[in-house]
Amino acid sequence: TVTSVDGPLTGATVYEADHPGKGTVTDSIGTFTLLIQDFPSILKINYLGYTSRSFPIDATTPLPLDVHLEAGITLDDVEVVVTALGVRRSNSTLGYSVQEVQSEELTDVQAVNFVDNLSGQVAGLRVTAGATGVGSSSQVVIRGETSFTNNNPLFVVDGIPINNNTIINRTNEEAAGFQEVDFGNGAMDVNPADVQSVSVLKGASAAALYGTRAANGVIVITTKRGGKQPGLGISFNSSLTLDRPFQLPRFQNEFGQGQGGEFAFVDGLGGGISDNITYSYGPRLDVGNQVPQFDSPVTLADGTVVRGGDVAVHGGLPIPSTPFVSQPDNVRDFYDSGTTAIHNLAISGGGADGDFRLSVTDLRSDSYIPGVNLKRKTLAGRFGFRPAERLHLDASLNYINTTSDNRPAGGYGSENINYDLTAWLGRQTDLEILRDYWQPGLEGTQQYSYNYTFFDNPYFTLLENRNGLDRDRLFGFLSARYELLDNLSLQVRSGMDYSNERRRFLRNFSSNRFPQGGYAENDVLFREINTDFLLDYTQSFGDFTLNLLAGGNRLTQLAENNQSNALTLAQPGIFRLSNAASPVVIVDQAAEKRINSLYGLARFGFRDYLFLDLTGRNDWSSALANPASADNTSFFYPSASVSFLASRLLDLPEAVSYLQLRANVAQVGNDTDPFRTSSTFVARSPYNGQPTFTEQSVLAQPNLKPEQTTTTELGADIRLLEYRLGLDFTYFTQRTENQILSLPIAQSSGYNQQIVNGGTVSSRGVEAILSLTLVVTEDFRWTSRFNFSSSRAVVDELPAGTDRFTLAYSRVYNSVNQTVYFIVEPGGEIGDIWGTGYRKTDDGRFILTNQGQFIADNTLRKIGNANPDFILGAANSFRFRNLELNLLLDWRQGGQIVSRSLSLAGVAGQLEETAYRPEAGIVVPGVVNTGTDSEPVYVDNTTAISAESYYRSYYDRNHEENNLYDASYLKLRELRLTYRLDRSALADGPLGGFQGVSVSLIGRNLYAWSEIPHFDPEQFAIQGQGIVFGVEDMTYPSARSFGLSLGLDF
Amino acid sequence: NAPSTVQNELLFRQVLYGYGDAMSYEGFVAGNLLSQHFAMIDFNLLDRHALSSPQEGGNPWDVLYVALRDNETVLQQSRNNPAAAVYEGPALVMKAYQAMRLTDIFGDVPYFEAVSGRTTGIVTPAYDRQEDIYLAEGGILDNLESAVAAIENYAGAIPLGGDIVFNGDLTAWRRFANSLRIKALLRISGRRDVGAELQSLYAAGDYIQSPEQNATFDFAAGPPNSFAFATARVGIFNVFLMSLTAEGIFAGLGDPRVSVLYRPAANTGEYRGIINGIDAATAIVPDDYARPGTIWRERTGDLDFNYMTAWETRLLLAEAAYRGLIEADARELYDAGVALAFAYWQTELPDDYLTSGPAAWDASRGLEQIITQKWIAGIGDAYEGWIEWRRTGYPALLPVAASLNDGRYPVRFPYPADEQALNFQNYRGAAEATDGNSVNVPVWWDVD
Repeated sequence: TVTSVDGPLTGATVYEADHPGKGTVTDSIGTFTLLIQDFPSILKINYLGYTSRSFPIDATTPLPLDVHLEAGITLDDVEVVVTALGVRRSNSTLGYSVQEVQSEELTDVQAVNFVDNLSGQVAGLRVTAGATGVGSSSQVVIRGETSFTNNNPLFVVDGIPINNNTIINRTNEEAAGFQEVDFGNGAMDVNPADVQSVSVLKGASAAALYGTRAANGVIVITTKRGGKQPGLGISFNSSLTLDRPFQLPRFQNEFGQGQGGEFAFVDGLGGGISDNITYSYGPRLDVGNQVPQFDSPVTLADGTVVRGGDVAVHGGLPIPSTPFVSQPDNVRDFYDSGTTAIHNLAISGGGADGDFRLSVTDLRSDSYIPGVNLKRKTLAGRFGFRPAERLHLDASLNYINTTSDNRPAGGYGSENINYDLTAWLGRQTDLEILRDYWQPGLEGTQQYSYNYTFFDNPYFTLLENRNGLDRDRLFGFLSARYELLDNLSLQVRSGMDYSNERRRFLRNFSSNRFPQGGYAENDVLFREINTDFLLDYTQSFGDFTLNLLAGGNRLTQLAENNQSNALTLAQPGIFRLSNAASPVVIVDQAAEKRINSLYGLARFGFRDYLFLDLTGRNDWSSALANPASADNTSFFYPSASVSFLASRLLDLPEAVSYLQLRANVAQVGNDTDPFRTSSTFVARSPYNGQPTFTEQSVLAQPNLKPEQTTTTELGADIRLLEYRLGLDFTYFTQRTENQILSLPIAQSSGYNQQIVNGGTVSSRGVEAILSLTLVVTEDFRWTSRFNFSSSRAVVDELPAGTDRFTLAYSRVYNSVNQTVYFIVEPGGEIGDIWGTGYRKTDDGRFILTNQGQFIADNTLRKIGNANPDFILGAANSFRFRNLELNLLLDWRQGGQIVSRSLSLAGVAGQLEETAYRPEAGIVVPGVVNTGTDSEPVYVDNTTAISAESYYRSYYDRNHEENNLYDASYLKLRELRLTYRLDRSALADGPLGGFQGVSVSLIGRNLYAWSEIPHFDPEQFAIQGQGIVFGVEDMTYPSARSFGLSLGLDF
Repeated sequence: NAPSTVQNELLFRQVLYGYGDAMSYEGFVAGNLLSQHFAMIDFNLLDRHALSSPQEGGNPWDVLYVALRDNETVLQQSRNNPAAAVYEGPALVMKAYQAMRLTDIFGDVPYFEAVSGRTTGIVTPAYDRQEDIYLAEGGILDNLESAVAAIENYAGAIPLGGDIVFNGDLTAWRRFANSLRIKALLRISGRRDVGAELQSLYAAGDYIQSPEQNATFDFAAGPPNSFAFATARVGIFNVFLMSLTAEGIFAGLGDPRVSVLYRPAANTGEYRGIINGIDAATAIVPDDYARPGTIWRERTGDLDFNYMTAWETRLLLAEAAYRGLIEADARELYDAGVALAFAYWQTELPDDYLTSGPAAWDASRGLEQIITQKWIAGIGDAYEGWIEWRRTGYPALLPVAASLNDGRYPVRFPYPADEQALNFQNYRGAAEATDGNSVNVPVWWDVD
């Protein structure tokens, strides 16, 4: 019998060390029978998530053998995974696809955002890191985007759902006020050092028991716990990485600031020649030109020397000319070297009556972006206690405090330093002199900058105009399980996820968007409590086993988001609402939701090779009620899955060590957010202190029905050549009907969004996991794993009466014409990008005016698709004696991305693409229509336009077609070289007290092969309150990290 | 905490203020380019007449439909709930006012089915002909008459709340309704014989006559109720310069209001304008030109949002008299209108301005004088200067320097791209009727 702290282990692998292909698997009560080929032998017992054990076996070994496995590392044979409701089951009994990632794969090269650690590790999982450096949100999507609105999988820690929300502060999308700041996604708080394993339940079947939110898959996280055996274990892990900006824009360095070849700085406000804005179409650099500049020395009457840009100090004295020279590395040098240090200390222990694990983790990341940082402290406790023979008490508690002095703003505008550095920085600008960012004597009231119209000094922005964060998060659970009978138990559990986040936005006097200073407080509160019970009954009847589970859950959720804006301040430098010089503008929102559920699961097993699961769940959601009725609140969804272990029944060729076939069909219902069934009114800016209200711009739908997703899945898991080669293949289809959509609608209806049920999207795709053990010798082992996935989601039907609609958009400010639309038409795919361009002939040549200029064509057309054709993660592991090398590659093929950096910095003449500026101008390749509109006669264009005019129109932000990149990339995601010494190797040396010591060289995000020269191809944008995939919006460089990590086990 | 119903008072205050707040900025940064009060030297595709590629403002569509929507809720509540009946008249006036702006700017637009998404479920409203929007039942003129009737019939005691324009004075709303009728009738006077109606309105005298009757509200000196241009980035402020057109008109009339509306060029102290619609790929020295006056930025406490004024009404009547549509002395009305307009812009009327100067009444070019005076005083007013130029051809606007519309001056605003994406089937018909959403196809009342 094989047991663990959780009881009997079903599906543990048992085999002789010399005959790995002739093994067996434990049954549902943990027993196994194995015919030993020849004595003496070594018996190996593996179970994923537990330390493998070996037993010398000879004729005298007492039988039956009782084996107890400890939680720990595992082998990648036939795996055991954590499935819905936290039940550990062997993969071989599952009729659906679940893939598990082990703790070491997560913690070896820790990312600050937990979600990033999953990148490339799981077939069908797409992770995209955010654009504002350490602390950004990361987006995760399982099996591609199939919903029009919500593709966010559910995160569950030790059975309790935790939120993975990305909540952006309130902005007005205009060129005034606060810009978007990404304060991170909820799941980033998970601490990799405390994670034992992560199971990804990909389809709806695996997830049906988690309820509506599982429609997009579930990421089930199991935390580490103490052992069963007496004794104290102490482990200490530490890693330190050096972070540098990855993929900075490539600039031209031949022309400096100005327009039409001229420039002179007077006041940076329009007083000079083209000094009101910072195009780089000015005089040539490095050819001896002398130009008055913002950093030219100006001598005051008293002999003091100030800078040209110290306008308020010198009061408009003439600024002398100084050499106009290039600064090819100004942006590169602007960034520091960041450091990320993570230290974790864990103490664990246990005994017959219980176990515990306590862990403390400290993370400090100082970004390469000056002034930006993230600090996170995590306390985790996991406790098991058995006060009576049949009573198991279990608890966990995680407290996380995350703070940041500054989270940099994103999007287009002066609060994002890339608006300066990438788009609008004259190529002669010496950034070094901007470090001293106040005008002398005017500290606290007047910044010093290279321009005062649209831009802020980037050091001033980052070091003074900060967006601070302080988040307390608490999640955990208490549970009690009582074994009423030997085969019947009752578990009652309650868990909570609570977070309270304080965000403070400081804006100093002389800021571009806040000339009189500004301050905002944004407090975000989230609380979700899940309370459930579960009855578990198991019985065997001859060859049949039966396991019945029945349970119920109540979910209550509270979300509040309150923001108070002071748009001017009385006293500079005092950031309090009471210092507001104008009425404070308050935007607040609170929503509550409750879902009650009942569910059941029946598992049937026949012998050891055929398994059938049936599930059903009914939910009652308050979000579907409207003020008049609760008719639509109830919905039911079932699933069925079957697993057949062909290799146990059939006589398969010698080469086939293991063959499992599986199939399932499942449905899952989905409700919606609160306040979508009745119209509401929201407060607007008061007039003379008197309140005003306007209707919400979203048109509610009183008779909303739950949406329904149906998935089917066929899969096979084949292991060949004594488990040396494994292929796990899954084909899935998914069809979502009655989707609850928040569709953009024509403003002429009075609203810009409408909640509707309607539309059908079907997707199909494949996932393949190829595991190879290429070399295994005593000293050397080489294993590879490839995670491949490809899926496509097609729109079958649109809501009645629609033949085209828009799912989302991304704009520059609030400009309708500078908008990337995500539009679907019947037959179109999710992720289709629409935009505009310039007029072209049918064969794709530009049609130009008689003056040789482009002609805008504002007809919207499909210009690409944001989603990849396939993604492939490749993990390679080489072990030579104590040395281990791990490589993780991440390949994304296909899909397009619209780049705002290209558009803006192209128009402004900063990028290397714009360096070609012949005196004679540029003759745009294209044709001129010398005929009529109806009967065109095209002749080749021969008229040149100035290079400045050419680039300004070619990359114009009103037209997306010329600002599109292929988003494919191949990334060297992770690299780790480890030297590991175990207990036996340490015993005689000076480190004799240690159980294990390891030292690693680590690297993350080291290199990318891509056609995009200017930024990390892994991107998304934030627009309004959401994430938009397929748009790059003035991104910050991502991090390339190198470092060291150390692990000590006492 | 989100209420599912709201008191009319709160909504109506937002209808009045929210529209004024949004449209005053829109009218300043985009409308003023088409009327050539100002020129823009960068991000100026709109100033170069690529109207579908505006870069700052230039999307009055959304502003108007949001205002129409909330106003419609006020109107419906006033009809469904006897306790809210007092709002019916004022809401009808606002509906007429907003609809007129909308159709005057764009031509045929969704109107009868518009902003009814919540009550009818129609989210792709059909386009209506401008003629019907003005003349049909439930259209602009009908609503204004209904408004007057509703105000006169109101016998309840519950006062009008949220009224930041007239502080609940229903008589003032009736005067506003009648002034707006005068304006609408003149607007369509190329299509319909409006003389009798104008004459009766004039004879009754129940229109906005004096400054205290003006349909205006005050902007505050600081946020959040300051004029939005006051808080716009200095960069946006700095790309707006006085236009060459404005330079010519103010200089030609020796009009002292120039010093309120503009500030002299920093380098020369002169009120110099720049031609509209330059190709921004040229080096210029902005300080050589006049910029917007301090009233638009530093002193917005002195600025009003203007729905309708006594000076505008007088100048409308002056035109009616000049064209023989009413029996009245055009000069008298003109002089009164100009005097009121000077007072409105807080400028002392020079003694000779109306007697011997170039602005003194000259019947041989009366229409040009009247419209030019409206153009001056109507600066910033939501495209009004451009609308009246389309109707009358005055004042003479200059060709833009680097046109992106083949050198033709636009005569309507194009439908926004959102309509193409989101209301495609209806849009298709409207686009056909305008030669593919062309800015060169005149609207119905534009008959010259």
